[in-house]
Amino acid sequence: MILVIVFLCGAMVMSFEILGSRVLAPNFGNSIFVWGSLISVFLAGLSAGYFWGGKIADIHPSTNKLALIIFVPAMLFITFPLYSTGISDWVFMQDMGIRMSPLVASLFLFFIPSVFLGAVSPYTAKLMISSLHTSGATIGTLYALSTLGSIVGTLLTSFYLISVAGVKTLIMAEGVLMIVIAIPLLFMKWDHPAGDTVPVETETIP
Amino acid sequence: MRLALPLSVILLFAVAVSPAFGDHKPLTKTIYQTNSLYQFIMVDEDQVARQRYVLVNTKKDRPQGGILIDDPDKLIFEYTRMAFTSLAFLDREPDEVLFVGLGAGVMPRYFNRYYPDAIVDSVEIDPEMFEVAKKYFYFVEKPNMKVHLLDGRMYIKRTAKKYDMIFLDAYRGEHIPFHLTTVEFLRELKKKLKAGGVVVSNVLSKSNNKYFWAMVKTYQEEFESLYLFKGEEAGNFIFVATVNKFPLQKSAMLYRAGEIQSDKGMDIDLKQSPWDYEDMGFTWDSKILTDDFAPVNLYKEMEIGK
Repeated sequence: MILVIVFLCGAMVMSFEILGSRVLAPNFGNSIFVWGSLISVFLAGLSAGYFWGGKIADIHPSTNKLALIIFVPAMLFITFPLYSTGISDWVFMQDMGIRMSPLVASLFLFFIPSVFLGAVSPYTAKLMISSLHTSGATIGTLYALSTLGSIVGTLLTSFYLISVAGVKTLIMAEGVLMIVIAIPLLFMKWDHPAGDTVPVETETIP
Repeated sequence: MRLALPLSVILLFAVAVSPAFGDHKPLTKTIYQTNSLYQFIMVDEDQVARQRYVLVNTKKDRPQGGILIDDPDKLIFEYTRMAFTSLAFLDREPDEVLFVGLGAGVMPRYFNRYYPDAIVDSVEIDPEMFEVAKKYFYFVEKPNMKVHLLDGRMYIKRTAKKYDMIFLDAYRGEHIPFHLTTVEFLRELKKKLKAGGVVVSNVLSKSNNKYFWAMVKTYQEEFESLYLFKGEEAGNFIFVATVNKFPLQKSAMLYRAGEIQSDKGMDIDLKQSPWDYEDMGFTWDSKILTDDFAPVNLYKEMEIGK
């Protein structure tokens, strides 16, 4: 179940990024600056999310909290049509130039969801790690699944989904999907394999 | 073992290069190539036909513009000649015109030649393309012929100017910029037209543009009248969109085209160009392209999937 979530959250990040380029185009065009802004804001969000997700994972990790982490971007996705045009038009009106405008718009529209989606990976790693002997394999599996998800999200969105429905409909549908996959987490009785207090295994510390 | 890597590299290289030699026409030579922010740009010369083209990304694609080496003022592409027939849809001489998509700059340059006092603005997203137009296609900036280097939609949204005619030549090559096809964009475009102004658009033909009818429908949604000119050579269409509710009759249009042509002494036949003149007064059963839904970039895949 948690593996599926890691995969899907990886897919959501990249699907959102592809769709984001179409959200920005009406006001900021399709220039190299739009792509540059978009990619860096997503990476900044993920980076902040990895850091923050790792921190909070050390404080009584639970599947309930993981569900809450996923609910935030899910709600932002579902309500996206309510604020995206307003924010995008407002940034357009400020006229901060061809570089700053798409960067600022990307920050407002895409930064917070990517922080939360980024936090999913370290948080699930903490939940899954049962021993320091196999933690490498666990983290490796999660990385691989998350990136595989990203590949699928990118390809599916750009090759296919864009011709199936409107951009805003797709973003909302992805939000609903995240809610659906996160709800079971609330009812899961997750026994942290290593418990809250992982004994220090001195042999692994160089 | 130590030889394995260099050997395989050599082998790969040989495999990669050999078909390229096979396909290469010896009489065409590339005189310049560069990687820009947006595309791979090539300037090719055909020594037999004495033509020079600019190509992007692949040699197989249609050129983005070209000239006769010995007579660089001639319009060698049919769609560029067809596009100027649109002059007959304006009830006056154009004072200010805009070209979205500079390419080799052949069309703005041609327009400037016959309307030397008119203001000719061009928008081009790719700075390298502008350099190529200047270096290889005799394009020169003048006080009344300027190029703005930014996204076409950005320019349209920001400019305070209004134009008599707007030529859209941005739907080219492999990639159709979706945000220049939508009904929202056409609405923004219309706001930058003077009274009775005309929008002229170069559109890929039905056979390799799955969204052709959707594009027709979108133009019809925003403009009062739409006329389609179909080319004979490459099969491109020229869309002429006007805000005039009363359709212009073909005979009247051709008469006016003839007048303009002889008045200006143009070297192209404005009356011959519209090989097929259709007044699209009816609506097609197709979806309108919007900022939310415009999968026009997928036209190639769609074509294969059909």
